[in-house]
Amino acid sequence: MTGCCSDTGCVSSDPRECAVSNVAPPTPEGRLLEQIVNPVLLFVCLVVGGLGIALAMPRRGLSPQVLGALVAGLAFGVVFVVLGIRAAGEGQLPNLFFYIFALIALGSALRVITHPKPVYSALYFILTILSSASLFLLLHAEFMAFALIIIYAGAILITYLFVIMLATQAPTESQAEQMSEYDATSREPIVAVATGIGLLIMLSFMLARGVGEISPNAAARTSPDLLAEFPRKILRELDQRRVFDAFERPTPTDLAEAFDVQRRTVPLVVEDVEATQALLEDPISSVLFVGEGSGQTPEETLSQLSQGIEPGFAVTIHLPEEIRVSNAEGVGHALIAGHPMALELAGIILLMAMLGAVVLARKQIELSEEEKRAQAHRLGDTIDAAGGGA
Amino acid sequence: MSHLLDAIMLAQSNVLAGPLTMYHYLLVSAALFTIGVIGFLSRRNMIIMFLCTEMMFQAVGIALITFSKFHLNHTGEVFVIFVLTIAAAESALALALVVLLFKRRETLDAASWSLLKG
Repeated sequence: MTGCCSDTGCVSSDPRECAVSNVAPPTPEGRLLEQIVNPVLLFVCLVVGGLGIALAMPRRGLSPQVLGALVAGLAFGVVFVVLGIRAAGEGQLPNLFFYIFALIALGSALRVITHPKPVYSALYFILTILSSASLFLLLHAEFMAFALIIIYAGAILITYLFVIMLATQAPTESQAEQMSEYDATSREPIVAVATGIGLLIMLSFMLARGVGEISPNAAARTSPDLLAEFPRKILRELDQRRVFDAFERPTPTDLAEAFDVQRRTVPLVVEDVEATQALLEDPISSVLFVGEGSGQTPEETLSQLSQGIEPGFAVTIHLPEEIRVSNAEGVGHALIAGHPMALELAGIILLMAMLGAVVLARKQIELSEEEKRAQAHRLGDTIDAAGGGA
Repeated sequence: MSHLLDAIMLAQSNVLAGPLTMYHYLLVSAALFTIGVIGFLSRRNMIIMFLCTEMMFQAVGIALITFSKFHLNHTGEVFVIFVLTIAAAESALALALVVLLFKRRETLDAASWSLLKG
């Protein structure tokens, strides 16, 4: 368990240390599977869960569907409950929301593949999307969480629902309650489940080779040098704190060059001595002038600064912790600055998909030779009329 | 009053701050992917089969965001955006095809098109 900041817990310790230890790649010293969950238990639960899924697949005749769903749900539930209890045993409360949303996501995913009625499957899939969006929120990926809800639950699933309703036979009086054969039965459920569970067992054992900790504090942080890419944001934040009443306002380019990434400081030139003194005396804005680890108390630093202030004097401004790049800003920067070509290609792919869908959905009208000739005549007449008019 | 508020905030942050490893999220992702695979292999309704591919995309998205958060950069999240784009394009085309196929055979059974095997 060395190399992780789990034992002390990131809430109490300095978040910056945690971020640093999180950047380190997972080493063999990271957590192994035995430290997270008992491998035998995991294996047994996955196999039982597979059996449950096989039972829960829709079939004709005697249907132990409810039983199967219960077995599968219980088996996957046991794994997560054990994961949670292990975590609680280490002296920390488990992250409740994670377990709740993971169970909702998996349970509704199970219903997607076992529900015989397609409309209900699609609705359960929306539930899966919503709960995995909640998992994204727990990971502090706010932008993707809401984009997921808007795009998937809002757009793609509605298309699915439309098509499901378009592509079902209108039920006649006699067979109103009867489902079609292909919905009521499944194809080779045992083989499919064996394949799937084999894949899952392999994945779940392979993934555990030295996994790292994700603490919420670290997940909320972004790469520390990203702030240097946002000089206008720094200017805006400093503006809100009325810093530029006292100091000269640098251009964004100059600010980005002068910004010290490691210490989060930026030198600014004094313009107005009295306004600077006012800033130094104000308890809210004086935080900007006090750095950590200089060995002085804040009062000493401030009094030392206020004695030596004159126009043209450069003062180091320490950016407080709350000035950080938000998730949406970070994603936008990575998308535009890092992958502009891929963004253009994605646009082209969407355009092609739209053209393809239009071509596929267009009604094909077969015209006979006679009709084509009539059409051509009519066209010719129109052109003549238009030419005569001109 | 403020002590009570502090206590509530602390309790809340403790509940949020359990020792989650990457493994937790990756296990959810793997399980979701597997359920998608099982559904794709065993269901016979073509629409549900495409729904299951969407579920697999979703699982991959969870894994990508987990890795992105672990490495403290946003490339994983950007890749999820592209996955969403491809999923949207795929569903538009696939559903148009499904409607065409349904018009021709009046059934959504994937097995009814088995003569495409040649």
